[in-house]
Amino acid sequence: MLEQVKQKAREILEQKQAEGVLGLKKGLWDVIHPHVFSTPSEIDALVLEPKWLLAKMARALLREQPQNWRLAVVVRGCDERALVELVKRNQIDRERLLTVGYACEANQAKTCLCSRPYPQKLDAGSAVEGVDPFADERVKAYLEGDAGERIERWAAQLKRCIKCYGCRNSCPICVCVPCKLEDDVWVERGVIPAEMVSFHHIRAFHLSDTCVACGACQEACPVGIPLMTLQLSMRAALKKDYNYEAGLDANRKSPVLFDFVKEPRPGQDVPDWVNSMGEKK
Amino acid sequence: MSVDRGNVKILVFACRWCGLIGADGAGRKRIELPASYRVIPVDCAGYVEPDAVIRAFASGATGVAVLGCHVGGCRFNDANHPALKRLELLKTLLDTTGIGGNRLLLGFGTAHESHQYADMILEFHRAMESMPSMASWLPQGQ
Amino acid sequence: MSKISLFLCNCFGEIGRVIDLEFIRKKFEADPDVDSVTIVDSLCMPDDAAKAQVLTRERRIGKVLIGACSPYGKMEFVRLGLAKEGAAVRAVDLREGCAWIHGKDPEGATRKAANQIDMELALLQNRKDSKDLTLRVQQEVLVIGAGPAGLSAACGLARLGFRTHLVDRGSAPGGLLNVVKKVYPTDEPGPGKIKNLVDETGENPLIRFYGKTKISSVKGYAGDFKVKLTGPEGNTALRVGAVVLATGARILFPQGLYGYGKIKNVITQMEIERRFATGALNCKTAVFIQCVGARNAERPYCSTICCPLSLKNAMRVMDENPGARAYVLHRDIMTPGSVLEAYYRKAMQRGVQFIRFDAERPPEVRGQEQVSGVEVFDSISGVSRVIDSDLLVLSTPFVADPESAAIARMFEIPVDKYGFYEEVYPIHPVETRNDGIFICGTSRWPVSSDQAIAQGEAAAIKAASFLGKETVSALAMSRVPGGKLGHAAADAAACTGCGNCVAVCPYKACRLQRTGNRSVSRVIKVRCKACGNCVAVCPNGAMQMPEQNYRVTGEMIRRAFREVR
Repeated sequence: MLEQVKQKAREILEQKQAEGVLGLKKGLWDVIHPHVFSTPSEIDALVLEPKWLLAKMARALLREQPQNWRLAVVVRGCDERALVELVKRNQIDRERLLTVGYACEANQAKTCLCSRPYPQKLDAGSAVEGVDPFADERVKAYLEGDAGERIERWAAQLKRCIKCYGCRNSCPICVCVPCKLEDDVWVERGVIPAEMVSFHHIRAFHLSDTCVACGACQEACPVGIPLMTLQLSMRAALKKDYNYEAGLDANRKSPVLFDFVKEPRPGQDVPDWVNSMGEKK
Repeated sequence: MSVDRGNVKILVFACRWCGLIGADGAGRKRIELPASYRVIPVDCAGYVEPDAVIRAFASGATGVAVLGCHVGGCRFNDANHPALKRLELLKTLLDTTGIGGNRLLLGFGTAHESHQYADMILEFHRAMESMPSMASWLPQGQ
Repeated sequence: MSKISLFLCNCFGEIGRVIDLEFIRKKFEADPDVDSVTIVDSLCMPDDAAKAQVLTRERRIGKVLIGACSPYGKMEFVRLGLAKEGAAVRAVDLREGCAWIHGKDPEGATRKAANQIDMELALLQNRKDSKDLTLRVQQEVLVIGAGPAGLSAACGLARLGFRTHLVDRGSAPGGLLNVVKKVYPTDEPGPGKIKNLVDETGENPLIRFYGKTKISSVKGYAGDFKVKLTGPEGNTALRVGAVVLATGARILFPQGLYGYGKIKNVITQMEIERRFATGALNCKTAVFIQCVGARNAERPYCSTICCPLSLKNAMRVMDENPGARAYVLHRDIMTPGSVLEAYYRKAMQRGVQFIRFDAERPPEVRGQEQVSGVEVFDSISGVSRVIDSDLLVLSTPFVADPESAAIARMFEIPVDKYGFYEEVYPIHPVETRNDGIFICGTSRWPVSSDQAIAQGEAAAIKAASFLGKETVSALAMSRVPGGKLGHAAADAAACTGCGNCVAVCPYKACRLQRTGNRSVSRVIKVRCKACGNCVAVCPNGAMQMPEQNYRVTGEMIRRAFREVR
């Protein structure tokens, strides 16, 4: 698989399809770090491990380069989805972006509880079956039980938050400057732990229809709060109600932004004060 | 689990058309409602952002109600549809963390259905009386 | 930060009976944001109202908060009266919303009143004013489509003195009426019915007709639309204040229904018109079937004209073929109004036979190569009959013209499920969601030529009243009593260009503008109706409504349940 990726990357540079390839390089003293490969010979040092999300970096690179500079990115499934969401939100110009997609191995999928461990444009490796996160015991522990139990469990976790903003900083979709989470009106400043309800619910809801389940937030959290689990129910609701999954189609914007006529929700129980028979609700 | 029986706080975002006129009608009829709710008038239910609802809960509200016009009858041509959809999605998040999607009432009706408006608020107040305490969520002193 | 003057109305005791006004006064006199608190008996009555106005004027009070009855009563007038003195005036509902609805809980009501007043003070202190935009309204109008609706609109506008550009894709005006030899119920020729209008179009110098012309591009908004036309003489660029869409509809071809296209002499109403016109109609028994492809699940609407049309053609068949018979197989005969009802009776007296069938059991056509008859189950008598016939005429409905969708897209108005232009139904007839664009005639929904002419005049009047203003302020362009709250505005530095606002706006008022290597959202003030959806979906609050910005909302939420001692 590594050879296939390297081959593709070299082709891109040789045929001048892009000015640079963003991937991981095994550099000096075997330290692995992201790197923009600009010549085919450099590609020799390309590696594919560990999991490292490059989408946000790609955005930053493209912004500071002139309009005719194109970038190819070596991506896993989650990275590709993140790039799709960034394209949808006009953060990356799709004309300037190429991807070299490779599939994740089965253990990686299990570690990330990933339901789609492969990019849609697969250039190397063979796709393995995804894992259903809802079947995982650790996830179930946070989603089951009655409301009171869930409050206790989540409060116990979120109380440990040190407001490092790691989750927000590492999330490939979070690009807003200024950010609401730093605004006194929404989240009280200078308070540790962070205001649990406002900080975490605002963050989670802003990502409700664009979270691509890459796991960067959870991996970045120094105190190990199960942040991915927060998003799971909303992702499932969008899939069930609108057959929508973030990160798959760059031309389909979130269904929540449109009205019923354009994006109807089948079987929706529309709340009304009075139903059509005049009976009181 | 202590219960907030005597201390129910409901924040109502009522749209200037059906929401507020419904409330006005109920008042004219001298229908008696518990004084547990405060009203923030908005031009359209579409204005209500989920972050404001979250902020209300973070500031100690027991329940939040968003009142707008019937789904086909928005003054601003279906501006309430996206509002309904995103607030329904917010309910999913509130359910996940245990706050409970049932603390968010979405009432879309007609201005002149004031009895129904009153019944709805009363029912919501009663439901909020038996909600579990959110004390563990909130900083001390709330 | 300037201070606020608080006026509390006792409402002759209606409010004071429940809410402890003295307590409220003491509490807010101590509030650093409040300058003075005045309790009056009845703010709406001349004495107290005058007193309040004088006070506001003399002390040059900049911000006023009224605590009185609900805005749906007199309080709005009081508020406007005080606003005339130059102050920013807001009001809190202490009567319908507090005293009357919590009559049995004076303590709770007082606490609520204190909180609500506190919240409104926060609003007054944190609100800003939207920038307004004054627009010169272009005094010319574009009418697209020169059928009866378009002609009537154009003539109406020209009579009122507006220069009108009348565009049609055909070479001459008239639309569908040009091919109709006789129009019901008067039997006058189609072109004759609109002859006056067509003549006026030629004679009135204010009307310019463009034949064989299409719209190639549209930019702009109400008051200033920049439209490009493409015609045989090349391109024309127009700047108009309003546009009337009268682009018409076409008749459905009933492919696959009742043997149409397979069996000879199974024809549509358009084709029978042609046969009458060329004198090629010879038949012994004509059968008309109504509601073909209409009033069903796919097209659950009535096309208005087919019933009177069949009455007319049935009678013509009998007039032009002595001894011929005519049958009308129908589900309902739709002939509203006294004139059409009389027409129906005339047809019955003339000898046209009417047989009613149910939608669930439609007639069946007989014949292999040529139509030989029709079997119909008469739902009233419960008997099945076979009618021998040599001509079967199918009444099919109007369906949207294939070019409607493209035109709707260019003018940014929605179309309904069936392709007809969507109106702001029911409160603003002939208007659309895009201010300045008016719709009339069959492109709006199926109507007769009489109705189309009437609608054309309606559109003309509406367009004229819009143009007559010469200049208009964007804040005043609201269909809402009390005016628009304000305009949404995006902070260009904070905007990430995500496009959520563009997707969610019902009026397509948000646009992404490219600046350097990023996009930034810009609000078209004329289109914004202040519904607030864009604000709600903006991920970082770059989009705000200045009159009720996020500081206002945040403060109001925080003060809603502050302890009141």
